[in-house]
Amino acid sequence: MSDIQATGIADANAHAGTDPAAMAPHRVVRKKKRKSGYAPIWNVLPYLLFFVVWEAFSRINESAALFNPLFLPAPTTLLSEGWDLAKTGLIWDSVLASSIRILIGFAYGAGTAIALAVLMVKFRQVERWLNPVLSLVSPIPSLALLPLFIIWFGIGEFPKVLLIAWTTMIPVLVNTVEGFKSVPSTLIRSALSLGASQRQIFTRIMIPSAVPNLLIGAQIALGLSFGALIVAEMMGADSGLGYMIVDARNYFKITNIFVAIILIGIEYSLFSVILKLLERRVLAWRKGGLNDAVEK
Amino acid sequence: MKLAVERVGKSFGERTILKDVSLTVKEHEFVCILGHSGCGKSTLLNMVAGYMFPDEGEIKVDGKPIQGPSKARGMVFQDHALFPWYSVLENVSFGPEVQGMPKKKAREIAKEFLALVGLEKHASHYPAELSGGMKQRVGIARALASSPDILLMDEPFGALDILTRDMMQRELRRIYEKLKPTILFVTHSISEAVYLADRVVVMKRGAIADIFEVDIAHPRSYESPGFGEAMARIERLLMEDEEVPA
Repeated sequence: MSDIQATGIADANAHAGTDPAAMAPHRVVRKKKRKSGYAPIWNVLPYLLFFVVWEAFSRINESAALFNPLFLPAPTTLLSEGWDLAKTGLIWDSVLASSIRILIGFAYGAGTAIALAVLMVKFRQVERWLNPVLSLVSPIPSLALLPLFIIWFGIGEFPKVLLIAWTTMIPVLVNTVEGFKSVPSTLIRSALSLGASQRQIFTRIMIPSAVPNLLIGAQIALGLSFGALIVAEMMGADSGLGYMIVDARNYFKITNIFVAIILIGIEYSLFSVILKLLERRVLAWRKGGLNDAVEK
Repeated sequence: MKLAVERVGKSFGERTILKDVSLTVKEHEFVCILGHSGCGKSTLLNMVAGYMFPDEGEIKVDGKPIQGPSKARGMVFQDHALFPWYSVLENVSFGPEVQGMPKKKAREIAKEFLALVGLEKHASHYPAELSGGMKQRVGIARALASSPDILLMDEPFGALDILTRDMMQRELRRIYEKLKPTILFVTHSISEAVYLADRVVVMKRGAIADIFEVDIAHPRSYESPGFGEAMARIERLLMEDEEVPA
């Protein structure tokens, strides 16, 4: 029943409103449509299998000794040792230090990028002079700059946050400018014919049309800046998940390395999900794409 | 309100798009500009809207030359050009709102115009959720909501299927009869022009070939006396010395 209503959206007759349910918010209906045919248990199974195979392999290796069993601890070992580690407060401190760095760096980077993008679109001269510079520096992997930042700014927090901000800024800037430039001209024309001022065109047309690209830039930047975070913490830091890895390597505490790696994965996923939720909220008006192309 | 196009010429580089075009549109008049693609009809409309400026001649509204886009001249686009991030209601209330009307009042006016086009039930939907015909209704409601002196329509039904198109033509005629706006409507469909307009301006190769007064009582249909003849006359004019590509 609900599927029939969902397809009714495209029906020219839907406006007649003969079906009272057709007026219900379509988003609810659509969610149902997107559900795959599998029961939820099937979604968990691949993860479960991955850890079971890992566990089995490590346990067999403990007795068979294909290689040093210390090199690949079993997941259950990691859990128990991770728990012990958590009780010392090391995990919490590391996660907190890394989160603060990435949040500050990401916010500054994205903020600067948006401000620059606005300036570049509003003032042609800014774009003319900034674009060549950007094309010079943007191909350089930001990690290559870290040693330079450390020499210039020491080994404190600043060079780390700067590196993350820099890593974030480039993709957000490039994508946001692209977004501003791809505003359909008929949208601007229709806003002008409806009496909008230049300012209103900017706030009500240009910015909303650039948001999808901005968010794409932010997603790319998040991945890159996590890399920058970990590398920055590996070089001359005394806290954070990257430091935890280097420190554990120095003392050959392989379980700690694994714990840190897993935490990095979890934290990145968390940030990524937050960004995705934000995107879904901001871009609620967007329809279509692969999921809507063919009913599954 | 009186729109006067006076000896207007326009070229893009070497290509002459319009030459020596003169036309007046009186208040409450429904005028269709008809022609092949590339005859310059959309360019003329874009200049009336103020998106482009003539190289020669002038376009005046009530004696004053057009300076640029204005809320006094509402535009309906072929690709509807609705703001995808605004709901249907927000799209329609956009005009009144940016012109400084309090939000609540603007929304009320928007609701009235949505009711006029029969879409009040879809006020909270986004444009992406509507069909082509519904989007174009919203486009018309949005243009009307800022109470323009003249409504400019650039092949608004060109992208619709034939049945929806017929329905929309009837709908537009109904709205016209109710509000009596001044409309300048660009199309390449002869039947659409004859069905809708008081006057049909036929353009060929950047110039006005002829202007037909359509004196058939509304509601018109293919069966109306004179409808077929009017279409035949216009078609003859349009096809005259047109080379058929081999």
